[in-house]
Amino acid sequence: MNQEVLNQPVLVSDENIPADGQSSNWWSYAPFLIAIFGAILLLLAKVVVGGDRFISDGALMMLALASYLIAAVFFLTNFYAPFKFAESLGLWAAMLGVFFNLSSWLVRWAAAYDRELAIFTNQGNSASDMPWIFRYVPFANLYDLSLAFAFGAGVTTLLVMRRHQFRLVAALSLPLAAIILVLARFIGSEFIDLPPVLDSYWRPIHVGIASLSYGVALVCFAVAVLYLLKDGLKVEKMAVWTSIFALSVFATISKFSVFNPSSFGTYTASTFVGESRMSLALRADIPYVGWLLVCAAALMIGGIFAFASYFSRNDDKMRVFGNRLMQAALIVQAAGIGVLVYQIKTIQYVVDHISTSQYERFGVWMLQQEDVPQAQINLMGSQQLFDISSKWITENASRLHLSLNANPVELAALITAFAGTFFIVLFSFKTDKIREALPSAETLDGLMYKLAGVAFAGLALLLMTGAVWANESWGRYWGWDAKETGALVAWLTYAGFLHSRIAYGWKGRRSAYFAIIAFLFVIFTYLGVSYLLPGLHSYA
Amino acid sequence: MKAPTERFLREKREESILSRLLKLICSVRLGVGLLIALGLACFIGMLVMQQNVDGFDRYFAELTPSQRLVYGSLGLFDIYHAWYFNALLALLSLNIVLASIDRFPKTWLFVSKPNVTVPIRWLRDQRSSSSLEVPGDRGEIAASIAAEMKNAGWKKTVVSEKAGKTFVFAESGLWNRFGYLAVHVSLLTIFFGGFLTAQLGSTGQMPIAPGETSNLTLDTVVELDQAHQITKQLPFEIICTDIQQKLIRQDGPITVGNTIDWLTYFQIKDETGTHEAFVQMNKPFDYRGYRFFQASFTPIGRARNITVRLTPEAGGPIEDIVIPRDGSVTLADGNMIRFSEFRGNFSIGREDPNEDTSAYPNPGAILQVFQPGQPPVTAYAFGPKLANMPVAKKPVAGYGYQLIDFEKAPDRHVLAVQRDPGSNVVYVGFLMLFITLVGVFFFSHQRVWAAIEKNADGINEVTLAGNTNRSQNTFDEKFSQFVKSLQRQEHGESV
Repeated sequence: MNQEVLNQPVLVSDENIPADGQSSNWWSYAPFLIAIFGAILLLLAKVVVGGDRFISDGALMMLALASYLIAAVFFLTNFYAPFKFAESLGLWAAMLGVFFNLSSWLVRWAAAYDRELAIFTNQGNSASDMPWIFRYVPFANLYDLSLAFAFGAGVTTLLVMRRHQFRLVAALSLPLAAIILVLARFIGSEFIDLPPVLDSYWRPIHVGIASLSYGVALVCFAVAVLYLLKDGLKVEKMAVWTSIFALSVFATISKFSVFNPSSFGTYTASTFVGESRMSLALRADIPYVGWLLVCAAALMIGGIFAFASYFSRNDDKMRVFGNRLMQAALIVQAAGIGVLVYQIKTIQYVVDHISTSQYERFGVWMLQQEDVPQAQINLMGSQQLFDISSKWITENASRLHLSLNANPVELAALITAFAGTFFIVLFSFKTDKIREALPSAETLDGLMYKLAGVAFAGLALLLMTGAVWANESWGRYWGWDAKETGALVAWLTYAGFLHSRIAYGWKGRRSAYFAIIAFLFVIFTYLGVSYLLPGLHSYA
Repeated sequence: MKAPTERFLREKREESILSRLLKLICSVRLGVGLLIALGLACFIGMLVMQQNVDGFDRYFAELTPSQRLVYGSLGLFDIYHAWYFNALLALLSLNIVLASIDRFPKTWLFVSKPNVTVPIRWLRDQRSSSSLEVPGDRGEIAASIAAEMKNAGWKKTVVSEKAGKTFVFAESGLWNRFGYLAVHVSLLTIFFGGFLTAQLGSTGQMPIAPGETSNLTLDTVVELDQAHQITKQLPFEIICTDIQQKLIRQDGPITVGNTIDWLTYFQIKDETGTHEAFVQMNKPFDYRGYRFFQASFTPIGRARNITVRLTPEAGGPIEDIVIPRDGSVTLADGNMIRFSEFRGNFSIGREDPNEDTSAYPNPGAILQVFQPGQPPVTAYAFGPKLANMPVAKKPVAGYGYQLIDFEKAPDRHVLAVQRDPGSNVVYVGFLMLFITLVGVFFFSHQRVWAAIEKNADGINEVTLAGNTNRSQNTFDEKFSQFVKSLQRQEHGESV
């Protein structure tokens, strides 16, 4: 060969060949493999050593939460001050997070077996009569699913981080995974007696696919947001959307009481009675929280107007003012959450905080819990319902208490709204530097497409395995149950994403919007259906 | 530029309405629109409680009259069976069929007329593109490049000449272009299965207790807050022989939360004979196109078997006997004791069917004692709580009776009986969809070209380019490796 001439740099941009060369060799899988095999080893240790002194699944979950947050901090700082050592620490913290997360789930599996074994042997049964081990796979309630969902997000992030250029995705995906774990913490880790219909080998298959697919969808969402940032979408526009989300949260929590004219500025929290884990339809006023939320909402609305003025007149002063308002809203939201948690932990005599205006409705709720026919309840007068309720509350006054576990979705929603504002404030600081640190928009778009493809295939598998299981258990493969319909809607959205891309060539922002909407549907399916809608999946 | 635009507009005007309608129906735009419309309808169906969901009567009672009127007239309480929902599904099916037909000829061109020779300028415009100057025989260079393409995984290679240039073309994963077709066929198969289920399927429930025979199923039809039952007849008889409820805590109630499993043993009797059958949770039984499932149970406290301690009135050894439900035991003295009834909360007189006896507060068994040559007499066996009742202490047929133990069981099990000719079709559709999705998203149709021509200096200039329909970054890397290996090869030869 005399001389070679390259008309263009050969095909692969620098982004595709990482500086540390970790994209294509087996070493890049090391964090993933260490996390997985480490967790399996820990499970073996639990099985061999066992005992009550072995680290609990709850403690491991908290370690996973801390690790995800630490990893996110390292990657977030890398946006502003790229530092290879900090990035490596972030990677290893993420690996530890996945390790602890999976360990927590596996140890829970062993603990569930031990629990039922104790019940079984106490009843005089032989241990050999114990049902098969897969009965105890921790996919029995929303706590288990949340643990696995966070793992799905963590492990997907770890795999995405194999490519050096994608490591910053963790800055957004891991805090989201952490929020899922916070939600799990609020839901509570108590074991339940497995409903017999769930005792099927399809359960680990179906729910396992669900949690991994949800995890992939979460990372896809994070990539979509980063894409929008890289693509030049103004942080102020993002601020408007996150503020609308936060306002929706404030408006709907506490049974719509915060903005309701008749109860303006009132925040109420659900109550528990005795050892029961079922929250009552009786809510206690938590002082100051409602007003703090109103204050945060006012600041956000002010921010929205300031940004609107900035968009229309290109007035930079209004942009700065809007950002200041968002920063103030962040501080007020933090104060609101802090005051809420503090008071839930410290309020002693709950009855003093319960408004008698709830009594009649609570009476109806009590009768419904006792399966009194609705027609019979309708015949009762207001005073009768009030008296039933009042009598019960007086009798159980000392047993009523508040708990963080009584309002898991509300608390998680408040924390998510806070996290949204936090990221907006963060992104508004030296935005160009963040954009510079991110991989090219085209590369992010490619990653988003791949993740959406995997999420789409995963959700398709979820629907298929769910249909087969439903046909085995309930005698029909499709029943328009809220959860299966929710998964179908999310799947259709990803189908729309892929279809519009393949057929129309829709890429970039449009794809990112599809990915964001699809993830919102995934979250609605995961949480909204379980907590807001009735159906066959209400347990999880 | 004006004339073609006018011609285009004229042609568009002259297009028949049918043709334009067909174009619309097979358009991707409509497909995406229908997907969004279906998604929205589903979302509404999630937010508005459907009339077949438990608790609908409460939900309905809480709605205002105007809400009931609006939701009801829009069919929102049963949206998944509303005419417009079915119309959306039908239109989507039509869209899928027509879009597949419309796109097929274009896709087939990849097979029938692969672009073996392409303009060099087009090659240079490709994202993955490069060029080399290579001395030597053009035929040998082409053969060498073709071999390298095969090594790189593009197995199907074609070498051709056109306008004084030599082209080497290679591709892999051509079938991937037909992925959309396979996805569409899979979806249509699933829709067809659903259609078969809706049109030819039937469902019903059969409450049954040991000793009972039935060939009737009950199907509950819900219309808003009103429900009524339709009875259907099976072409065979079901004879229940035994039911069993496996509990987690033996001393706990027969509630769902304390249950590991329910098992129903029965026989199916028809013109072909009597066949043994068994179902439990998640293990259905199939017979003649019907499928039997363990659906639910009636949580009235009964016993599958009882252990009764017999204390002879005249003294003598105490004996414990185990009697199965509806069964009997014959004693050494010829007396036969039959287990005729069990109550979880025993009281004299008729049992209240609405009473919750699932926790067995006061268990008691009613026995029939048959003495040789004498009419049967009733005896009672109670647990410790009722042991002091006068009736418990009274000897019957020479024995005192004490309930020592019993295996808890519900009053009856409810079997779901389903006939669904569409489910297997749906399963086939699922399998096809899964295979297709894996094929479509994890593989790609990759094409590479090498155009060899002599440049002004008389040296062979090789223009290399390639493209893919998916996984662009992976392809870029692969193409990069391919070019590097060519460069290495050429470098090695020159050394």
